[in-house]
Amino acid sequence: MQNNHHKERLYKILVIGDLGVGKTSIIKRYVHHNFSPNYRATIGVDFALKVLNWDQETVRLQLWDIAGQERFGNMTRVYYREAMGAFIVFDVTRPASFEAVTKWKEDLDSKLTLANGKNVATVLLANKCDQGRDVLTNNGIKMEQFCLENGFVGWYETSAKENINIDEAANCLVKHIIANENDMLQSEVLDTISPQLEKDKGGTCSSCFRSQ
Amino acid sequence: MTFFNSPSFPGRSLFARRVKDSHPKEQKDPGWKLFGKVPPREGHIKDPKKIQKEYETKSGRAGPDNPTSPRQSARKNLDFEPLSTTALILEDRPANLPAKPAEEAQKHRQQYEEMVAQAKKRELKEAQKRRKQLEDRCKLEESIGSAAQTWNQDILPNWSAMRTSRRVRDLWWQGIPPSVRGKVWSLAVGNDLNITHELYNICLARAKEKWKSIAAPASDSEPDDAGSSDRESSLELIKLDISRTFPQLCIFQQGGPYHDVLHSILGAYTCYRPDVGYVQGMSFIAAVLILNLDTADTFIAFTNLLNKPCQMAFFRVDHSLMLTYFAAFEVFFEENLPKLFAHFQKNNLSPDIYLIDWIFTLYSKSLPLDLACRVWDVFCRDGEEFLFRTALGLLRLYQDVLTCMDFIHMAQFLTRLPDLIPADQLFQHIAAIHMSSRNRKWSQQHSGTKTTHITLRYKQRVMSYCRRFYFGLRHIVILHSISPWETRIF
Repeated sequence: MQNNHHKERLYKILVIGDLGVGKTSIIKRYVHHNFSPNYRATIGVDFALKVLNWDQETVRLQLWDIAGQERFGNMTRVYYREAMGAFIVFDVTRPASFEAVTKWKEDLDSKLTLANGKNVATVLLANKCDQGRDVLTNNGIKMEQFCLENGFVGWYETSAKENINIDEAANCLVKHIIANENDMLQSEVLDTISPQLEKDKGGTCSSCFRSQ
Repeated sequence: MTFFNSPSFPGRSLFARRVKDSHPKEQKDPGWKLFGKVPPREGHIKDPKKIQKEYETKSGRAGPDNPTSPRQSARKNLDFEPLSTTALILEDRPANLPAKPAEEAQKHRQQYEEMVAQAKKRELKEAQKRRKQLEDRCKLEESIGSAAQTWNQDILPNWSAMRTSRRVRDLWWQGIPPSVRGKVWSLAVGNDLNITHELYNICLARAKEKWKSIAAPASDSEPDDAGSSDRESSLELIKLDISRTFPQLCIFQQGGPYHDVLHSILGAYTCYRPDVGYVQGMSFIAAVLILNLDTADTFIAFTNLLNKPCQMAFFRVDHSLMLTYFAAFEVFFEENLPKLFAHFQKNNLSPDIYLIDWIFTLYSKSLPLDLACRVWDVFCRDGEEFLFRTALGLLRLYQDVLTCMDFIHMAQFLTRLPDLIPADQLFQHIAAIHMSSRNRKWSQQHSGTKTTHITLRYKQRVMSYCRRFYFGLRHIVILHSISPWETRIF
């Protein structure tokens, strides 16, 4: 966590969700700025690297594009390790892929937590929004509610094809990852300076620490 | 001075008259010769014997003093020179301008000659390269033709007697000619499952019934009678994956000639093995078989291929078994490429990251298709071990590149291999990988104490894998083996 003093941050980000929802396409759009309707199915895991300039720092995002078939679930969970953030993707034209979102989220949270015990920042992507809207995503309030209940830091209607909201979603995720990291750094610093704080470990929120 | 790109012969000969020769000794020769013929002297220095010979016969036919008819020389040019050539023309200043001083004119002439000589050199080189390519292609076609004959007339009729012979094995290594590839694969894979064309039709009919019932809206809410949710969705997954199978070939996509065939094979398989169902990667294997076999024979080869222990372990996603494969792979990795192995370890790049794709699709997704077929050829000959040997061959081939990379770049490189992989080089590197207990040399080297040593290390590695995968050692893997490829789990 000494990254803070460097001019460069490296984050591992998972991209998960059901098969064929467009995970690879989203990454291709985000990293290579293009789209093809003909991507090959991902077997196992694919990788991409995105370099961002963020407040005069360099942020490197290691994107892990993980195969969507449920069967691979146990095999690919080893890939979750040390990730700092995640996108969970569903296809607005396939309701079943939305139903699987909670499964993916639970799976993620059960296998991956940050050093401070919090879940990693996760953004929900409602992909293929160019192909018509899902009833659910049409209802913004309901989606907000869903995100709140399931611990998503945000949600976006995206289209890799039409390049809609991909950068925005990524920025949102990076923002939360950095905030999480700063929280952890701060709590670490506080821990070292005043170890008596350990007694009050109940407060996981960073602002609680600050106010004390 | 002007550059002129002459596309046709009349134009070329027309301009040629104004072109001056690059060779000071033959200054009075028409410039046309410059491009039409290559002076023998340079030919002596640069050219391989064959091209030299051709010059001689050519100049003999044309006659050195005869400027040659354009048509004749054109035909000869085709042999080793490009149709269109870049002609460089040295011209005097237009009449309305004062003439160049003699010194300048001399300098320009010299520059001009140098440029022409260079251009000619370059063109010659390119022509030679093209010629070499053509020769290679002809040679390749010839050898494929004669190999096909050997396979058809000698080997296939005496399959069981000849398949293990040294000669056949050597020929096999060089790649099976595409015309007999399907036949050889079928024979090599065998049909232990005794699948018949009738059985295929029965399975297919069942799959079709299912598709119909899925298409009907009512069945959506009905839970399927037998088994896992994964299996239920198998047919749905197939639909999604078919269009993502070799999309660049445009033959398996909706409306493509093999779309329905691929759909049928995969659908029939999920009915034949509902316990396995459809697993990603299968569509690539079926597609490669479809490209080489009839539909029903594809099904026979497909089911039998997937029934091999390694394929079963992977497609059933049997973790503990997969881990033993990865661990065994690492033992050979360390043995064969210790430096690269250390580099991978340092960067936490574990084999599952790249092997999963390679093994699940039998390289058909990650290698160019023709090269993948060659890997399949020897896979059919040597079995699962060759899949791991190929992986090590690839790592060996790209060892230098990989050692300069960090984790993410290695991971990217290995999950997306270069588009052009030199087949011969790859096979040379694969050949340089030593492994397998079936290979006598290996078993001699690693007999006795060393075997125990390896087995021990191997065991430790499996344990460490288990720890990584299960976050606690729930499975105790006991390996008893002379070769790490023959493992068992109790």
